[in-house]
Amino acid sequence: METRSFKKGLPKLFMHLRSQPIEFVLFLCASFSVVILLLMLLFVVMEGSLAFTRLGTQLILGQMWKTNSDLYGGFPLIYGSLMVVSGALLISIPLGICTSIFIAEILPFQLRDPIKSVIELLASIPSVIYGFIGVTFLAPLIASIFGLQSGATAFTASLILAIMVLPTIVGVSGETISAVPIEYKEAALALGASKWQTIRNVILPLSKSGMLASVMLGFGRAIGETVAVLMVAGNVAMVPTPPWNYLAPVYPVTAVIAMQMGEAAVGSLEYSALFGLGLILFIITFAVNTIADVIVRRRPVGRSVQL
Amino acid sequence: MVNDAKVDIRNLNVWFGDNHVLKDVSFKIREKAVTAIMGPSGCGKTTLIRAINRMNELICGCRTSGEVYINGHNIYDGNINVYELRRKVGMVFQKPNPFPKSIYENVAFGPRIHKMANGREIDEIVERSLREAALWDEVKDRLQDSAFNLSGGQQQRLCIARALAVKPEIILMDEPCSALDPAATTKIEALIRRLSKRYTVIIVTHNLQQAARVSDFTAFLYEGRLIEYSDTKSVFENPRSELTKNYIAGKFG
Amino acid sequence: MSGQTGEKVIFAILGVPMLICILIFLWILSLLLTGIGTVRWELFTMSALRGGMLEMIVGTIYLLLGAAAVAGPIGVLAAIYLVEYAPSGGLTRIIDQAINNLAGVPSIVIGLFGYTFFCRHLGLGVSLAAGWLTLALMMLPIVIRGSEEALRMVPASFREAALALGATRWKAISSTILPAAAPGVVTSVILGMARVAGETAAILFTSCVLITRGLPKTPFEPVMALSYNLFVQIVALGAPAQRVFGITLVLFMIVTSLSLSAILLRSYYRLRQPWLRMKG
Repeated sequence: METRSFKKGLPKLFMHLRSQPIEFVLFLCASFSVVILLLMLLFVVMEGSLAFTRLGTQLILGQMWKTNSDLYGGFPLIYGSLMVVSGALLISIPLGICTSIFIAEILPFQLRDPIKSVIELLASIPSVIYGFIGVTFLAPLIASIFGLQSGATAFTASLILAIMVLPTIVGVSGETISAVPIEYKEAALALGASKWQTIRNVILPLSKSGMLASVMLGFGRAIGETVAVLMVAGNVAMVPTPPWNYLAPVYPVTAVIAMQMGEAAVGSLEYSALFGLGLILFIITFAVNTIADVIVRRRPVGRSVQL
Repeated sequence: MVNDAKVDIRNLNVWFGDNHVLKDVSFKIREKAVTAIMGPSGCGKTTLIRAINRMNELICGCRTSGEVYINGHNIYDGNINVYELRRKVGMVFQKPNPFPKSIYENVAFGPRIHKMANGREIDEIVERSLREAALWDEVKDRLQDSAFNLSGGQQQRLCIARALAVKPEIILMDEPCSALDPAATTKIEALIRRLSKRYTVIIVTHNLQQAARVSDFTAFLYEGRLIEYSDTKSVFENPRSELTKNYIAGKFG
Repeated sequence: MSGQTGEKVIFAILGVPMLICILIFLWILSLLLTGIGTVRWELFTMSALRGGMLEMIVGTIYLLLGAAAVAGPIGVLAAIYLVEYAPSGGLTRIIDQAINNLAGVPSIVIGLFGYTFFCRHLGLGVSLAAGWLTLALMMLPIVIRGSEEALRMVPASFREAALALGATRWKAISSTILPAAAPGVVTSVILGMARVAGETAAILFTSCVLITRGLPKTPFEPVMALSYNLFVQIVALGAPAQRVFGITLVLFMIVTSLSLSAILLRSYYRLRQPWLRMKG
């Protein structure tokens, strides 16, 4: 039913817009994002087409990524990305969710805005500076703690990445907590529920889905993060042995694209394979963001009475 | 005038930031009766009843001075357990605010968090509370339905049942009928009369007729001060203060 | 009583992660500030050809201003459409979703797209202009969302008052609503600039080079940028921390002063505009 009204609505909308020049310009600006996304998909697919036809599933499943031998198996890279991201989320999900609850419900009123601003500042530090800190301070620390030759490991990348996605998780899940109507909180407190009982029995059940969305957005940010990860991950295109060894170097997808794009000849298989990897990233983040959006949109929090 | 005082308010002052909302309010509220607090909007009615279960302190920038004695204990003493206080002093809000849970879970919420009962006993408490709130017959076959499927009036009675489930001694009602239609209002008012046999009810209203219909005692609040307090009949038929007279005559409101 | 003690323990546990977040921030801040003594300030105004960083600073500012000039107007107009005109329905939903999705595209993919589309197919080459357009794509969702919020906060009564006086819809928007929302709109553009000021991956292949002979004279020449230089010096040249500290610090100062001014501007106009205070 929705698609039908949409199809019928489209020509009518254009007729209407043609008689309203200002509205038409505004509409064009608003649809710019849609156009850009479509163009992005089109061009990345176009540039990657050579790799898809020549490599097929090898681009995802192939075990070897060796530019010199013209081998472009993306598995170790994708594995590296997922390894670094899951490590990062393992750290930042508990930290972020607890922080958001603490700020929204427990911290005294006067401190809430200043602390939120600090988190916001943390979010605005560019990834290249996180990378710099990772290379100059964190990696040597990791190397000396674990007695490694080099501190550039999946673990180091996870740590840096965890710090980077923390503000996303704190921000989005904090927003959903504040969106819980105050009526529910007051109802629980007036029954004699303690602060913690109110949080556990009323606020958390109502903001569960928003917290899930915050985690998905955090995942999307983490998997697309490039520069900081590249600088501390060690960049060895192999699945570590054993596969859960976080103290081994990895070569995440984003890092490969950033490092090799400059040297890849336009139109070569390597160039195309890099775009192929880009398409994989595009699809993953697109899916994750869409799901997060859907989760946020169907909020279970309803109004109690229609006045 | 009131000898057997359940609640004894002495020199109560409340500020929100620089705003002096309640000014030196003192009066005694009788046990097992309905006391109405009326006055024009913004006079501090809601703040006054929220001072009785210490809900004001949840609002940013609120300060309170003075004493409120319940059963002879000052609830603003440092060693008072505020959660136990709020269990003893139930509250019903302006707009029905059931939790987004089932009817059963709404009523069971209080007994559960206070660990007053478990299993079977909770079933009994739910039934007893819903009967007391005159809702049982309407919902007994659909206790697991969402509370949002009830009508506005039913939701408000559910909120009353939820408050009754933790065995309170006092029930505060903040304009409980302002969001309801006349038929639902009639039911709630009858319910309030019945509840006053077992509980001390304090109801805030800006509806004069409602105060006259349901209350035994009436307090008139104006700009944060207590202007008049007496049994309802004499407040309405023989007000002492000129302000009260004008308010009842509808000259302002 | 024991319940209350238990609650305090739980709150303390919940508070630790927040403390960790703040400690991380202070740690980063202290790392950056301890190096301040080693920075030679005269490098700021010295040409890169002689080891300074003048071209990087100016190049970063060029990139920022150009990107804001592209994304600012488009973003604000898009926000006006979404708040004031958009019918509720399928198409608006798609636009809304697309903005969120654009915000989620990894910067490296935006960089890939910028390279193939702006540099190659539009023939801009590796240039300042290509950098503007690429960074503008990253700023756009931030500007749209921020402006939307600012526009929605303007009370409906403003609009109705203007319309009741006989103003056309656009007249009502441009004469009453937009001025009332202006501080919020400006804040959103500044936030967008803060977001891309340190961006590296998106300009990696689209507009930057390690060294130029002076500043670009036309938008079709490549530029130097702080973030790009920092990245290449560390990754490709393995430069020691001391040498790149100055670049890190300048970049950090630019980014934090942008986001701090956005934060301050926001709290300032929330105080100043009485109709916003009601919303808490």
